[in-house]
Amino acid sequence: MSPRRYAARRLALGLVQVLAVVTVVFLLVQALPGDAAVALAGDNPDPRRIEQIRVTMGLDRPPLERFGEWVLGLARGDFGVSLISGRPVVEFLHDGLGPTLVLAALALVLLVPLSVVLGVLAALREGGPVDRVVTTVTVGLHSIPEFALAVVLIAVFGVQLRWLPPTAVGADLLGQPAVLVLPLVVLVARPLCSISRLVRAGMIDALASDHVRHARRLGIGVTRIRFAHALPNALAPAVQQVARTTDWLLGGVIVVEAVFVVPGLGTILVDAVAGRDLPVVQGLAVVFAVTTVVVNLVADLLAFRLAPRSVAIA
Amino acid sequence: MTPVVHVEGLRAVTGSRTLVDGVSFALAAGQVVALVGASGSGKTTTGLALLGEHAPGVSVSGRVTVTGRIGFVPQQPSAALNPVRRLGGVFREIAALHPGDDDVLIATALRRARVPVELLRRYPHELSGGQQQRVVLAQALVGDPAVLVADEPTTGQDPITRAEVVDELASVVAQGVALVLLTHDLDVVRAVADEVVVLRSGRVVEAGPTADVLDRPRTAYTAALVAAQPRVTVPAERPAAAPRLETRSVTARHRATTVLHDVDVRVGAGECLAVVGRSGSGKTTLARCVAGLHAGFAGEVLLDGRPLPRSLRRRSRAELAAVQYVFQDARASFDAYRTVLDQVSRTAVRLGGAADPRAEALARLAAVGLDEATVTRRPAGLSGGELQRAALVRALLARPDVLVCDEITSGLDTLTQASLLDQLAALTCTVVLISHDLAVVARLADRVAVLHRGRVVEHGPAGEVLGSPTHPVTVGLLGRSMEGTEERKA
Repeated sequence: MSPRRYAARRLALGLVQVLAVVTVVFLLVQALPGDAAVALAGDNPDPRRIEQIRVTMGLDRPPLERFGEWVLGLARGDFGVSLISGRPVVEFLHDGLGPTLVLAALALVLLVPLSVVLGVLAALREGGPVDRVVTTVTVGLHSIPEFALAVVLIAVFGVQLRWLPPTAVGADLLGQPAVLVLPLVVLVARPLCSISRLVRAGMIDALASDHVRHARRLGIGVTRIRFAHALPNALAPAVQQVARTTDWLLGGVIVVEAVFVVPGLGTILVDAVAGRDLPVVQGLAVVFAVTTVVVNLVADLLAFRLAPRSVAIA
Repeated sequence: MTPVVHVEGLRAVTGSRTLVDGVSFALAAGQVVALVGASGSGKTTTGLALLGEHAPGVSVSGRVTVTGRIGFVPQQPSAALNPVRRLGGVFREIAALHPGDDDVLIATALRRARVPVELLRRYPHELSGGQQQRVVLAQALVGDPAVLVADEPTTGQDPITRAEVVDELASVVAQGVALVLLTHDLDVVRAVADEVVVLRSGRVVEAGPTADVLDRPRTAYTAALVAAQPRVTVPAERPAAAPRLETRSVTARHRATTVLHDVDVRVGAGECLAVVGRSGSGKTTLARCVAGLHAGFAGEVLLDGRPLPRSLRRRSRAELAAVQYVFQDARASFDAYRTVLDQVSRTAVRLGGAADPRAEALARLAAVGLDEATVTRRPAGLSGGELQRAALVRALLARPDVLVCDEITSGLDTLTQASLLDQLAALTCTVVLISHDLAVVARLADRVAVLHRGRVVEHGPAGEVLGSPTHPVTVGLLGRSMEGTEERKA
């Protein structure tokens, strides 16, 4: 199958997947105890007041009707309005997407070259001191959860040493890049470990393969063999892991956003779920589902290029 | 003529073991010398020494003089080509290493190896086995080498591809390149080599012109090598037995491609059915359908008249034991981290119902020449031939009614192959033998089915099919494997 037809088929399938995700999210939010009216009415609410709010919000209509209306709106590009504030959902998405995108893009720009360099370095010095140090540090770092690392970094660099701002409260992310340093370190730390381990393992396999030995016998230079012959073979598994990481980053890493007070998609999602603000939750679900479908499609097309044989069979 | 390759007193030692001991030979332009011998005879070590290479921990001494550049044609071109790179890019990298215009160098090499230019846009997996072989030959020819070293260029190839490879090599030699051929395939040696050096445990046991050495061997070892080379001899008829295994209109698919069309074959108790055909003809898929490894087929597989469930998972333990499979790649069919004995005796535990599985496994392994010290190692400590024998014992411990053997001799040297064939010939169960080597088939088969593009084109008693073949594919497979038995081409 040609990559083009493969992509078209996957996109068609992706549309179905997005619809399925949206449906499941709708059902799950319905299953949560309480609704937006209860959340709005505050503590110790009067049942009659809740009923009033429900009617004004249209929550008294059957769920199927509300869902159908929302899906029809979506087809026209209308994400609906927030139940709580009445602002269009698109505005929420627009506000949250900025910080999340900035963090995700910067994290990936750091992550990919760094992990490839680390993995290749460790593979070329397999068993040597460099490999051991890289292995020890990456395995160690990988076992620290984000929130723990984040809190420790804030305590040391933000509070004790005062080198960096501890949180991003009220800051313009691009105007004050210093606020981005700690969140980025936390975001990059764990994926860096897993991806560099995959690159290292793939590189060791590739360097020992028959085709690399053959290329050496043909007289091709060492650098070329390492980077033009072995490395592309080593990257195929890493690409899948990068895709998973990209998904994770674009989903707004809730823990990191919460600790550093970054107003990204993750923060908006948490608030919307707490307020049972269904249209916002669903809008976010659409964004996350589309991101996942697209990112994985790109990863598979890259894998097609990096391992033409395996995909041709699959 | 002055020799382009001169090897004198070559020795290679690793630890206390001597791999090559005093090998000497010389070779002039346009000549072919074949280094022959069983696995472990020192062929590859000698070939690598010509390239100035040696395995880690091996020290090489002696004199190796090569005038001009030396090129290498690797064994298994499918593994030697980088799966991620288009051929053209790699060719340009190679050409850049040599003086002269890149495009001219590439075009010349492609022409000499008869590789069409269009192939440069492709990836290795988009080529046939024969094309891959020609591509690695063309890579070696970039920059006009004086000498080529070809390592087992025909091992594992079907007879028609094998004949193509022989033609390619002969045509390159005719262009004035000297060729050092490392092989255990004496048919190929007869077809192209001027001189033969017979190696055993690193020593030259015999050397001289091809015809002299192979037709009038002076040593017992050479005589054994020549005798072990499989020959097609038309087998005598045996009375047909009641069918034990039968397939009824088996049609199998791999995704959208139909690889088997309405295959009906039949084999009696104690008989051997050979399924032959070129690579990609559907032989292995048929074997996998029988064994329950390829559930996606229509039609029926009957054992003693009762249909077998299509999938392995739905077969009872007795049905699992009844059909056993020996795979082409013995090494891949063992877990690398457990001892061979463990894995072999496991069948006896699960399927054979033996009282003392370990003792039974040891006894059966000893009967095929594998002692306890050998089989208590992990697979990495055994040779390919030893592992294949262990795999055979593993299957037989289940006391199968039907044993499926998928190309189990194709990677082995001729002496190892001959001993494995003796063991197969002595079996009393029904054997389904998948092979493209008609010499092996003729040795064992009572019945032969010829597959071509997923269809049975001939099916009958072995004597009939091999003695008077009617389909062009059978004729092609037969003709090619007998070609080597004729006198060397002028």
